[in-house]
Amino acid sequence: MKAVFALVACLPTALSAQHGTVGAHAAFGDYREVSSDLHYRGSGGGLTASFTFKKLGIEGSVTGITYDPITGSSGTASFKATQLDVRVRYYIAGPVSAEVGFVNRKMKPEFEAQSVGAVRLGARMSYPLGPGVNMGLRGGMLFGSKFSGGGTVSGVGALELGLNMAVDALRGRLRLTGDYDFQRMARTTNGGGGDVPVPIQQALGRIGLAVAF
Amino acid sequence: MRRHLLLVPLLLLAAPPPPPLGAQTIQNATLRRAQEAYDNLDYRQALTLARTAQRERLNGFDRARDYELLAFTYSAMDSILRAVDAFKEVISLEPERDLDPTRTSPKVLSAFQVALTQVLVVRQLRVDSTDFVGGQGAVAIRYTVTQPARVVTRILGGQAPLKIDSAVANGQVNLRWQARLASGDPVPAGSYTVVVEATVGQNNFSASQPIRVTHGAVDTLPHLLSLPGYDYLPETEIPPKSWKPMGLALVYSGIALAGTSALSQGDLGSASFREAEVIGGGLMVAGFVVMLRKPAPQPARGNILYNRLLREQLARRNAEIAQDNIRRRQQVALRVVPTPRTGGGR
Repeated sequence: MKAVFALVACLPTALSAQHGTVGAHAAFGDYREVSSDLHYRGSGGGLTASFTFKKLGIEGSVTGITYDPITGSSGTASFKATQLDVRVRYYIAGPVSAEVGFVNRKMKPEFEAQSVGAVRLGARMSYPLGPGVNMGLRGGMLFGSKFSGGGTVSGVGALELGLNMAVDALRGRLRLTGDYDFQRMARTTNGGGGDVPVPIQQALGRIGLAVAF
Repeated sequence: MRRHLLLVPLLLLAAPPPPPLGAQTIQNATLRRAQEAYDNLDYRQALTLARTAQRERLNGFDRARDYELLAFTYSAMDSILRAVDAFKEVISLEPERDLDPTRTSPKVLSAFQVALTQVLVVRQLRVDSTDFVGGQGAVAIRYTVTQPARVVTRILGGQAPLKIDSAVANGQVNLRWQARLASGDPVPAGSYTVVVEATVGQNNFSASQPIRVTHGAVDTLPHLLSLPGYDYLPETEIPPKSWKPMGLALVYSGIALAGTSALSQGDLGSASFREAEVIGGGLMVAGFVVMLRKPAPQPARGNILYNRLLREQLARRNAEIAQDNIRRRQQVALRVVPTPRTGGGR
């Protein structure tokens, strides 16, 4: 959270050839862990900020979701997930940009689900649908994943996929955003009897409103 | 009948000398009588009276008419050599004198032409009136010299005479004078005289033509706001409506759903598409709305390039005009006009 505020505070608004947004969003998600029995759904909210300067773009969001076990789930208690996403984007050519960043998701209570941190590396394809309407499709891999309960992920075991859109209103001063983020981590633990698969999967949808400057 | 045929050439010869230039008339009474005798084909009487008139006091005009009458009379009497001599006197008195070939018999004309070749005169000195920028034009001067002679053309009237040509010439001569001083500067405004002096041995003849030179400013060129015949083209164009936004939204949403399905861990049960469907649905709604809306103007690359080239061309042309105007402000426009002569040549 502090990082997002620091990011927004540092935005040099007086410069030209740049623009930024600050906004809030509502989030809803689906979280699964270990097996289909541990299945949660929840909703929440968060803050988003982005800044673009020439070919460089940086965006960050912090989202808090309270996950509740669905009916039939073996989970017994709800938990709150606070996820920080940071992405730094560099335009390459055509619709393609390269993207690096990290994700940090903390769970509360700590042992109800796995907290995770990882570095992301991927690409994004952006396309303007029309005046003030943009969409993007992104995909990437998560490297160096760390879990609060231990475990490892193979090189291509942690993947993410995203779909986002932005619709400008009020001559670009207001921006309606939608973002879909799917993560799958093929986590394994070694319980002494060999590797045990304990995968984690989250689908997160965010719908927000941002002020552009 | 035969007598009538003989009279025809005589009548041709008897054609009166053409009237002199201007509206002057013969003042001397004897000369008038001589003219009447010539008109009556009484050549002997005309000859006697013309010679008598020569001994009287004649003004320049009458003297030239007297010699001309003698020349015509000698021609009529087939005394060609005497006719030539008389014409030489006429030419000396009136170098610009010409006979009308349509009203004068060939015999008289040939005598006149022969006389022209035997007298050194500079005739038909003409200076064309002209306007030009100093250093970029010239004044046309032309004259006719009747014998091969060393001809020197000078401009008098300035601080020092300007020799503009010196050559051996015969017949018509065409010169071009740039109206510049020896230093290259344009001649100052004022009145000048073009003097053409022809010399053969001890004989010389000069003719002159006064001219007036005036100075003016050279017009500068206005800067161009556009190139004639070339208009700027619109730099944006509205593309036709297209289903592409909707199609792309559909494709992107489909990829997201398919990717979610493909990446889902089998151990965790069937994937949740709820989140992808909500965002993808929103995206398709946006794509549908964009598809229905009037497309945004798109940059017309060809037109932008064309306009850029046009602007560059215009800027280049204006830079040339500015450079040219700097030069023009340092220039002077000369107007050269011939003025009426006050006397003949000698």
